[in-house]
Amino acid sequence: MSVSFRAVQWNRRKIVYDAILLAGVALFIATYMTVGILRHPPADRPAWIDLRINALGSCAFVMLTIILCIGPLTRLSPRFLPLLYNRRHFGVLTFLVALAHAYSVVDWFAAVGALGDLVTELTNNAKYFQFIGFPMKALGLFALIVLFLLAATSHDFWLVFLTPRIWKALHMALYVAYGVLVMHVALGVMQDDRSGLTATLLGGSFALVTALHLAAAWRERETARQHGDWITVGPPDEIPDQAARIVATANGERIAVFRDGNLIGALTNLCAHQNGPLGEGRIINGCVTCPWHGYEYRLEDGCAPPPFTEKLATYRLRLRDGVIEVDPRALPPGTPAAIRIA
Amino acid sequence: MTRRHRSFHRMLWPILAVLVALGFTMALALRPPPEQGDAPAQSESTK
Repeated sequence: MSVSFRAVQWNRRKIVYDAILLAGVALFIATYMTVGILRHPPADRPAWIDLRINALGSCAFVMLTIILCIGPLTRLSPRFLPLLYNRRHFGVLTFLVALAHAYSVVDWFAAVGALGDLVTELTNNAKYFQFIGFPMKALGLFALIVLFLLAATSHDFWLVFLTPRIWKALHMALYVAYGVLVMHVALGVMQDDRSGLTATLLGGSFALVTALHLAAAWRERETARQHGDWITVGPPDEIPDQAARIVATANGERIAVFRDGNLIGALTNLCAHQNGPLGEGRIINGCVTCPWHGYEYRLEDGCAPPPFTEKLATYRLRLRDGVIEVDPRALPPGTPAAIRIA
Repeated sequence: MTRRHRSFHRMLWPILAVLVALGFTMALALRPPPEQGDAPAQSESTK
């Protein structure tokens, strides 16, 4: 909701977020390299590159795991919301670390004078029909291409160009990339690691991502206990002031029920800009503000304040026996539906 | 996201998660036994 174009809308929060991100990556790689040097001091240049490959690869995988945990964590607890605000920069940095990992692999083959072996491995069709022995580098390359596509289209320009629906569908490919990377590690370094450490960490991270998504989905279902045709939201004072409680309908659509003092309104949880999680935002200056890019909507009717024209679907509310309930049937976008409570 | 999208995602993601879990388990179970005198360093194939 900006009237002038700026390539990246920097603010203090984004700068702090990026600084912590960069420091975290540097610390991870430095720690990994230091421990590696202390355990098995590299004897030659290929051994140094080998250590770098492992450090960068591990770092990229950990970053991707964290990125995939952020969404369900914010749905489980608003304490994790600060992680969400600049997740796209997190994703771009993950691609850059993964790219450095891929470059290091090529560097290793060049250092031992075996670049031809790398090409042979990627083009040996027979290996693609094996399970153990499948060209794991091809899996890594595929995931890298997906990460590149996501990083390259992470800017708002592509969001507008592709439309939010296609953009979001494209960025769901991150889950596919993660699954492919799990197999990249499982068929790669895990095959040689007899200590069980790689298998434990890899299986643990995959289980964590899966468990968090299941927990978030279960929590939303619990929150959305049906009460006849209407969904129970809870007593008004249990909706945090100037924030929202998110409920899910039987078909899985989410509704953000906001409270601003004694005014309560229900809007679709999807921002009109980029389908961002509106219910994870707050009411700022009297408007519901999307946590992703600050798009604003009036709580009364879901309309963006003039001169902007975006409108959100609203939902009917009622207060019954001291409990707020919401009608899951969406009203046309821009329909006034908020209620005042005594 | 429309209802059709949600229904699609509800089917797609559990299937993908099961496939990855199955692949991981198979990769773990079908690991070849360690060779005698195996060097601790990575082999070229897993570089």
